[in-house]
Amino acid sequence: MYRLIGGVLIVMSTTGAGFLYGRELQRYLENLLEIREILYLIKGEMEYSGMPLGEIFVRTARKVKEPYRTWLRAMHRRMSRREDVSFRKIWNDGIDTYLEELHLKKKHVILLKELGMSLGQNDRKSEGKHFQLHLDRLEQEIEIMREELASKKRIGNCLGVMSGIFLVIILS
Amino acid sequence: MNKDRKKQEILGVTAKSVGRILEEENLDFEKLQEIRMRAEKPLMIVYDNREMILPSTSTSGHLVTKEEIRETLDYVSQYSLYAYEQEMRQGFITIEGGHRVGVIGKVILEKNEVKNMQYISSINIRVAHQILGCADSLMKYITKNMKVCHTLIISPPRCGKTTMIRDIIRQISDGNRYVKGCTVGVVDERSELGGCYLGVAQNQLGMRTDVLDCCPKAQGMIMLVRSMAPQVIAVDEIGTTEDIHAVEYAMQCGCRMIASIHGSGMDEAAAKPVLGELIRKKRFERYVILGNQNHPGEIREIYDERGSLLYSG
Repeated sequence: MYRLIGGVLIVMSTTGAGFLYGRELQRYLENLLEIREILYLIKGEMEYSGMPLGEIFVRTARKVKEPYRTWLRAMHRRMSRREDVSFRKIWNDGIDTYLEELHLKKKHVILLKELGMSLGQNDRKSEGKHFQLHLDRLEQEIEIMREELASKKRIGNCLGVMSGIFLVIILS
Repeated sequence: MNKDRKKQEILGVTAKSVGRILEEENLDFEKLQEIRMRAEKPLMIVYDNREMILPSTSTSGHLVTKEEIRETLDYVSQYSLYAYEQEMRQGFITIEGGHRVGVIGKVILEKNEVKNMQYISSINIRVAHQILGCADSLMKYITKNMKVCHTLIISPPRCGKTTMIRDIIRQISDGNRYVKGCTVGVVDERSELGGCYLGVAQNQLGMRTDVLDCCPKAQGMIMLVRSMAPQVIAVDEIGTTEDIHAVEYAMQCGCRMIASIHGSGMDEAAAKPVLGELIRKKRFERYVILGNQNHPGEIREIYDERGSLLYSG
């Protein structure tokens, strides 16, 4: 009897782990979608209103949820205090500090940081093109993730169940 | 209080190393007129009408680096050069407090028009100084029965024309014993009158004043008439045919006009092709001629529409 209960518990926990893995992947994709949304909002404000970046960050912060809100507000604060010589440093520090909890992959962090490298240094037209270039790259990443998501989730679920059964067989 | 604010505004946009030099000099920012930064040249200021090389303790002065110019430009533009594209085309950016930062570098041309500027090599920070009350003695001449007369201010450059018109706007807008406070629309093509920063006028233009910032004068006057129905419209330095036609249009719409032009006297103004026509039609009721023989903003003469002298300084 105890063996049966133990076996069921093992299968349930490994299945749960597989399910959680799928959910994590789903959440990661949602985070990338959220970042894409924010970047589109910033780009739109830059092209339409032509306001300085600090003002755009405050305006955008009102429309987004945490931790993005704090990230944008913190950047605005540092910019208005002119704490750093370059915008790039403010942007990079913001990503490292406030977006850390998203556990972004290194390649996605690099992509975001590259966007900040020359932001605010060109005319409006060039800024728009520069922004779009990075947005396209992000779109590609999202597309790849989306394509992989279903299969990875299925593999995660199957592996969860199968590894549980495998463990039960070995232990018995 | 005002001095401290001015100091903060100026030091807030200068490169940190330059700011430190300025602070160590213990300057009175009310007397500071200009800060000139030229790449690889000594840091200079115009202070109390005198040119000085900083730091004053060194004979050769502090050589301004390209990085300091870049840093200053980043602060001036709030790390967003694209947001000041139009201003850069005109060669200056207005910052908080109404101070003006002139920039010089390599001009990028497109179809023979200035598109932008790159390789910025010189920056000139011109500290704004308002002179409240400089139009006090003028008000009684440019008003009649508590109403404003159509007024044209004629003045050569550097005679305080803009400062004078700014104070006239403030007094008309707030009202005083010569005129009842009324709505004033200002078309501020080069942000000189209002010194707008993020759309908000930094200079005191009165409580009933609406400022159309960075807008071409001719278009702006028509826009103001249609959108804000001002009782008085004020514009600085009218010159083109379109400007003068727009002035006439605004007058015909029932707005009182305060305008200024470059010139040394009535004869010169009357000789201008389109403006001369307006003068002969007696559209303007007052002509104020400024000079700077004794001090900028000195009122030399005031005439009425018939050319009769009302005042001679």
